[in-house]
Amino acid sequence: MEFASMSVAEIQAGLAAKEFSAVEVAQQSVERVQAADAAVHAFLEVTPELALEAARKVDAAIAAGDLASCGALAGVPVAFKDNMNLTGTHTTCASHMLESYVSPYTATCVDRVLQAGGIPLGKLNMDEFAFGSTTESSAFGRTCNPWNLGCVPGGSSGGSAAAVAAGMATVTLGSDTGGSIRQPGSFCGVVAVKPTYGVVSRYGVVAFGSSLDQVGPFARNVRDAALTMNALAGRDPLDCTSQNVTTDFTANLEQGVAGMRIGVVPEFMNAEGLSAEVKDKINEALAKLEGMGAELVEVELPHVHSAISAYYVIAPCEAFSNLARFDSVRYGHCEAGHKDLGSQYEHSRSGGFGEEARRRIMLGSYLLSAGVYEKYYYPAQQVRTLITQDYQRAYEKVDCILAPAAPRTAFKFGEISEPAEMYLSDMYTISINIAGNGGMSMPIGLGADTGMPVGAQLITPAFKDENMLRVAAALEQVYGTAPVAPAFANGKVGE
Amino acid sequence: MKKLEEVLQDWEAVIGLEIHAELTTLETKMFCGCKLEFGADPNTHTCPVCLGLPGALPVPNKAAIESIVLAGLATNCDIEKRSMFYRKNYMYPDMAKNFQTTQGPVAFCMRGHLDLHVDGKAAGERIDLEGLEPGEQGSGTAANVTKTEDGYIAHVGITRIHMEEDAGKMVHVGGGEGRIAGATHSLVDYNRAGTPLIELVTEPELRTPEEARLFMQKLRQIYLAIGISDCSMEEGSLRCDGNVSLRRRGETKFGTKTELKNMNSFKNLHDGLAYEICRQAEVLEEGGIIYQETRHWDPSAKRTIVMRVKETADDYRLFPEPDLAPYDLTDEWIDSVRAKLPELPDQKVERFCESFGLSAYDARQLINDPQITAFFEECMGVAGADAAKLAKPVANLLINDVTAYLNANFGVALEDTPLSAGRAVELVKLIAEETISSKQGKEVFAAVMDEDKDPVAVVDERGMKQVSDTGAIEAVVDEVIAANPDEVARYKDGNTKVIGFFVGQCMKKMRGQGNPKLINQVLAQKLDQA
Repeated sequence: MEFASMSVAEIQAGLAAKEFSAVEVAQQSVERVQAADAAVHAFLEVTPELALEAARKVDAAIAAGDLASCGALAGVPVAFKDNMNLTGTHTTCASHMLESYVSPYTATCVDRVLQAGGIPLGKLNMDEFAFGSTTESSAFGRTCNPWNLGCVPGGSSGGSAAAVAAGMATVTLGSDTGGSIRQPGSFCGVVAVKPTYGVVSRYGVVAFGSSLDQVGPFARNVRDAALTMNALAGRDPLDCTSQNVTTDFTANLEQGVAGMRIGVVPEFMNAEGLSAEVKDKINEALAKLEGMGAELVEVELPHVHSAISAYYVIAPCEAFSNLARFDSVRYGHCEAGHKDLGSQYEHSRSGGFGEEARRRIMLGSYLLSAGVYEKYYYPAQQVRTLITQDYQRAYEKVDCILAPAAPRTAFKFGEISEPAEMYLSDMYTISINIAGNGGMSMPIGLGADTGMPVGAQLITPAFKDENMLRVAAALEQVYGTAPVAPAFANGKVGE
Repeated sequence: MKKLEEVLQDWEAVIGLEIHAELTTLETKMFCGCKLEFGADPNTHTCPVCLGLPGALPVPNKAAIESIVLAGLATNCDIEKRSMFYRKNYMYPDMAKNFQTTQGPVAFCMRGHLDLHVDGKAAGERIDLEGLEPGEQGSGTAANVTKTEDGYIAHVGITRIHMEEDAGKMVHVGGGEGRIAGATHSLVDYNRAGTPLIELVTEPELRTPEEARLFMQKLRQIYLAIGISDCSMEEGSLRCDGNVSLRRRGETKFGTKTELKNMNSFKNLHDGLAYEICRQAEVLEEGGIIYQETRHWDPSAKRTIVMRVKETADDYRLFPEPDLAPYDLTDEWIDSVRAKLPELPDQKVERFCESFGLSAYDARQLINDPQITAFFEECMGVAGADAAKLAKPVANLLINDVTAYLNANFGVALEDTPLSAGRAVELVKLIAEETISSKQGKEVFAAVMDEDKDPVAVVDERGMKQVSDTGAIEAVVDEVIAANPDEVARYKDGNTKVIGFFVGQCMKKMRGQGNPKLINQVLAQKLDQA
């Protein structure tokens, strides 16, 4: 038995029947990470002690005959993107800047997963401070795509997607500012959910773009993702942008799509850069949904083409300000010995941040400066309003939109080096963060040309995240649950 | 350098104030649950939020927002129903996040005003009021001024009051007197980081240092009355920066301004501004240029010195704080805050005048110091039916003797002195009923304070009762007239001022216990007959 390859339901059935203990799940899952991660490098830190401690609590509850009190994720191997604080672990954001930083507190999303009984295996690799789409900008080495170790896993939550795809964890958490959950989910062929902004607390997640960031789960089936959403969602007094969400995200997974109106967006389907194999799979998925009784409706999003431009104004501005605290004075990378404070700031920040982080900080600093701010920040906010209104109008006609999650499947390392070209890999995901809606990537098989996973993106009105999970569950009926990548299936470690 | 009065003949001073108040009466900080406590061990009241640790988020303190709305209502501001927080980005180690959360173009409180009553000598500094009749409103540079009998009322605009958070406190070690120059290292205490601050910005409508001082004094009275801050200028919970520029009388364009800091008392505020006005006048009259710079008032050297020159405007890269949604206030909530407004200083002055027959001037003197105000009200309670009759002498006692005593015994609270409301009323009654003279009253007051005794007991012990026996007084007056024929002759020649000499001589003979009113009467009579 490979515990980390099992579903939540399978693990909990085994625990309830006393076929195995949570401590066994924890021990074997840690060993699995230690064996398989040599090929993938999804983990930046493995936490065997924390895993055992959590597992013992679950076992004690089972011994007391009270598994239900442990929560929806009792005994489930989980792991967290390395921008999420967990007391006693390093929270590096994959940056030299925070290489030695140890969290003195725990993020709300992490705490909720642990309160639900999750067994924490460790912290996951990412693009530095979540700036990127390939996980190549990690200061601590790249993560490989379990489906093809020569390909990128996507990013920025590449470690979170790869860990699930390689059967090293049942559920992981990632964060998504412009596509950082959905795009790696698509590249690694796993279920990847970015909830509506405000569904999940951001407290304790190192901020990138505060008005865009949202935390969500990776899993290999829709129900596991929905169960995790149940644990994560809801008002947090420590994040005043979090909302009082009490939805049971598992409630309508079996309802099917008959009578649902699914939106198709010509601007997305006809976009330059969309590969043929992805387009074919998306059309196939649309046909399957129609076959199951859904109505396909064409909807227009006339301003969505400006989303990337608006995003690369708003996100760097917020990032510039959010990253200003990394100044080498109280924690983090410090190059001391300079004669004044300004020189210490300059050298420490130049040495601590990688190239993409420096680029975005400088971009944000420029965009917010006097005289420039008025020319870019205001128009970007206006575009944001227009895109939000586009989606609102579309949702008068449809319950959910289906689109590609990424224009192509996972590409080779180093294949894209031009930043502007790289930014286009988020062309299908960014507008959803701009509008604040929910979106997810659902695996719908492999591309005919590359043989790599393709993800369909499901996009729902704000705070109607249950709609996309319902459509995803219907697609799962057709395509099956997401498999562990072949080179890692049945205990293999990537040879 | 010329004196202020002289400078103001040729130049008009334009002064605007920026006044920060720490909301010290709140339990917790602006954006986290850490306790607000002055003087705690360094960095003991901190958490991930006020330390700016990665991932921490702010949550606004509702009580702080109630405080600023109270301040706005008490200073005649419009309360904005939707306002936002902004990030002011700059890097300094006392700023944990390297941005300060503040407000943008729309603050909680906008467009207020205060009316200042200026009288006495300082009222003469406004030469643009010459020729105005009492009750008449000025025009031109005096458009917001109304002339009164003994001075004028200035109507001073408040631009805004906004909410922000304080920074931590830096201590530089190894250099001279804690200064950064020569220091070997610097320490930061984040206990103060995130303390809720409100900043009031006035319109540039103040014209004299006295007006600035009165504005600050009145604002302090208001903040103390509504209970939002302890307003300690020494400890820095109430701080004031002044912007000053000069322009020739008649000129409408503003001159270049300097920003003045470290005016941590009413006297320093007045003297700092007065010095800076005179310094700028001297520079300008010698053909020099005023640079836009920040200057530090040094009260011991009695001059301002340059702290830093602003070559270009600071670029704080202000933008809306994405972690905090726009803040919406409802009419119902604002009304509920309005209902909490206590009696404000202007209303108190009005009541003191109406209920006790005090002059507005005396009433305003009484409300300068909250402990004096409270003590006065207590005395009026003790006086009961005699309140109206005793109000003026009680007020005089408080404004003169008690205030002088408290000034001489700095740091002593009135409630910790031997003076109770009962003793104060007893003392003024002794004078009002002519048991003792007002001069004796001073001696009794001193004895009450030094020996902790009731006034009646002091009078008895010292046998101080005033002599109002006409026969006894006539005898003394006769003696004095007989002994001073030269002065009598002078009086006869029409020099009536020598009567003072005779009163003095009589008092001396009666060891100060003669009733001065009677002595005067008898003297006038006898001198005319002599």
